[in-house]
Amino acid sequence: MSNLNVNGQEIPLDKEGYLRNLNDWNRDVAEALARAEEIELSNAHWEVIELLQEFYRLFELSPAMRPLVKFIGQRLGPEKGRSIYLMQLFPPSPAKVASKIAGLPKPTNCL
Amino acid sequence: MSNRTLALCRAAPYGSALAREGIEAVLASAAMEQDIDLLFLGDGIFQLLDNQAPEAIGQKSLRRNLKALPMFGVEELYVCQSSLEERGILPEQIQIPGAEVTLVEKPGELIAAYQCVLSF
Amino acid sequence: MTLHIVSKSPFSCQALHDCLQSLVEGDALLLIEDGVYALQHQALQSLQETRIYCLTADSEARGLQTSSAPDSVEIIDDTRWVQLCTEHNPIVSWFR
Repeated sequence: MSNLNVNGQEIPLDKEGYLRNLNDWNRDVAEALARAEEIELSNAHWEVIELLQEFYRLFELSPAMRPLVKFIGQRLGPEKGRSIYLMQLFPPSPAKVASKIAGLPKPTNCL
Repeated sequence: MSNRTLALCRAAPYGSALAREGIEAVLASAAMEQDIDLLFLGDGIFQLLDNQAPEAIGQKSLRRNLKALPMFGVEELYVCQSSLEERGILPEQIQIPGAEVTLVEKPGELIAAYQCVLSF
Repeated sequence: MTLHIVSKSPFSCQALHDCLQSLVEGDALLLIEDGVYALQHQALQSLQETRIYCLTADSEARGLQTSSAPDSVEIIDDTRWVQLCTEHNPIVSWFR
């Protein structure tokens, strides 16, 4: 996987499927990235994606699982700030998969 | 405190890669549920200084990364008091929201309480 | 008790300075590599309560006279270094 075709435009990806240029991201690109992960984006997905992007703006890094759960919990409440909830939305590895769909770099501190 | 690790941060943020490597090691440890605290000593204190805007030198803000520490469960930051005073920095210039910054008079006593000390 | 290992010259680097700031009574100080130039530095004279060790291979390599070092300095070989590492905890490296 090295390119993603979105509305006739070729979007370059790295070998793990992350965007090469973070500026390429838009909602259509996110939908296409999600399809590649066999995920259909609902409102529940979008609110997490938007918070991930906010996390990146605040801290200039993509969160590993633990900080992601904490951040979502702070913003959306304890019901959603749980790894099982995020696991259901972004299987099999929420921090990696959600970062990818949100157009962020791969979490560096996530093995 | 016996199983905790201390990261000893002595490098200024942008002149070398050391400060960034340190914070990355700390974040990776914390993401793996390891207990880790930080002690800022010497020029390492400059990592915490507010109002960093390194875009013009093509770097990411180290302070923004440090602000992520509480999200990773790292909430204890120790700062060498005499290093701070030597550099004319006030405690209010080095606060991290969600973390407790403790000024340390005798860094050696703090270090002695840890099993493992990583130097950056 | 902490073993502090200093590997840079005190004449060009903050390593020894920062280390001494973090020394408490009973700690040990080991000089290796360019850290052995601390033998020429007055800062060592004031350390009455600290055991100071110097790696002989590094001081000999640099032509330093260990005979003029303070009496409190013990000149050691690699085996003794390993022994010091097993006797102390934590070990802190001052490499810059």
